[in-house]
Amino acid sequence: MSAIVATSITHRFGSEIALDSIDFGVDAGEHLAVLGENGAGKTTLLRILATATRPTYGTLEIFGVDAWAERRRLRARIGFVSHAPGHYPALSAKENLEFFCTLQGADPRRVAATIEMLGLSEVADRPAGRLSRGMQQRLAIARAVLHDPKLLVLDEPDASLDAEGPELLKAVLRGRTAVIATHDQALANKLCHRTLGLRRGRLVGVPSRLRVVH
Amino acid sequence: MRPLSVAWAVARKDLTSEWRTRELVPALAQFIVLALVIANFGFQFDSHNATAIAPGVLWMALVFAGLVAFGRAFAAEREQASLEAMLMTPATPAAIFAGKALAAIILLVACEAVLLPALALFFGVQVNASVVLTVLLATVGMAMLGCLFAAMVARVKARELLLPLLTLPLWIPFIVAGGQAVQAEMGGGSSDQAVALLLDFDILFLVLTSLAARYVLED
Repeated sequence: MSAIVATSITHRFGSEIALDSIDFGVDAGEHLAVLGENGAGKTTLLRILATATRPTYGTLEIFGVDAWAERRRLRARIGFVSHAPGHYPALSAKENLEFFCTLQGADPRRVAATIEMLGLSEVADRPAGRLSRGMQQRLAIARAVLHDPKLLVLDEPDASLDAEGPELLKAVLRGRTAVIATHDQALANKLCHRTLGLRRGRLVGVPSRLRVVH
Repeated sequence: MRPLSVAWAVARKDLTSEWRTRELVPALAQFIVLALVIANFGFQFDSHNATAIAPGVLWMALVFAGLVAFGRAFAAEREQASLEAMLMTPATPAAIFAGKALAAIILLVACEAVLLPALALFFGVQVNASVVLTVLLATVGMAMLGCLFAAMVARVKARELLLPLLTLPLWIPFIVAGGQAVQAEMGGGSSDQAVALLLDFDILFLVLTSLAARYVLED
């Protein structure tokens, strides 16, 4: 069963074309790596998949429904890590997660479990603004998985993570469909089933199947 | 029930952040006291005309304090990219907006707790429960409008200039009705009609801003 079906996804910023007629699909439980140089359109594509941006043209179905029309309902099933951490610096890591737990309508018990899973226990009571960049990235990933989403959309999730990062991401991805933008081919090989190459907003070749190392 | 819990969570988050950083309220309270000191020296008033001048000073101080308070409400969210994080949840934009407006109202009420006693002290006017009620009613409507326009201009570089340009014309009804009500109350007259008008404005703008919040908050 397809989790994502993207047809002719096109996005423009004024006269500039960021994505040009992108077609692809992702099966349920599959992990897709989006690779490409800076400015290739990876972030725009991921923002569209996370329903943060509406494509200028094209249709996107996520879990069998029109992603934009049903975006509010779908957001309960999508976890998104973007470039900006989006934390409240005066609130502790735990308070940040508790706040987003309320907004997600998730079970409050998920907060403690997520803190444990992301290795944030020691810094849970520290203000988010005083966390290291790596810990802030862990907090962003924690926020994305807090509501136990079926689809994860991760924009360079390994940024600032330490050597444990790939193992941590592997644990987070388990049992979920995921689309991950990265520059790191080794990370893509380790975490993903397939890659999708982008260059200047266009697909490069056909999505390739990777040898999955789990 | 869920929109209410979302709105309260958003408001509590803003108030907790302000309590820990103390960025806004102390500065606004100082600004209000300074404005009253300047007005105290700038206007030639005595016991006969103080009730005519004090309401004008009250609304001037409140309007400018409000512009600063509401301007910060969404600018910080945009800078931290946390507004998008909130909008990426199933919570409705109207509930998020209501929470932001509620926090802004409470912060401005905290400033009014400094403003009203200081006004009584500097101008020797009577600040009774009716004056407090009038100011609170005006604060609600002004906060709803102020927060709506603050959300609208938050992504614009010239937001400090745009916010007053958009907000002040729509605050005029509150200033006119509030000014009349406070002047009547300080002079010992009846303010029922002006207070009823303020209540009508509150209901009108509460409904309009809640409907508009969705289009303003989402890109």
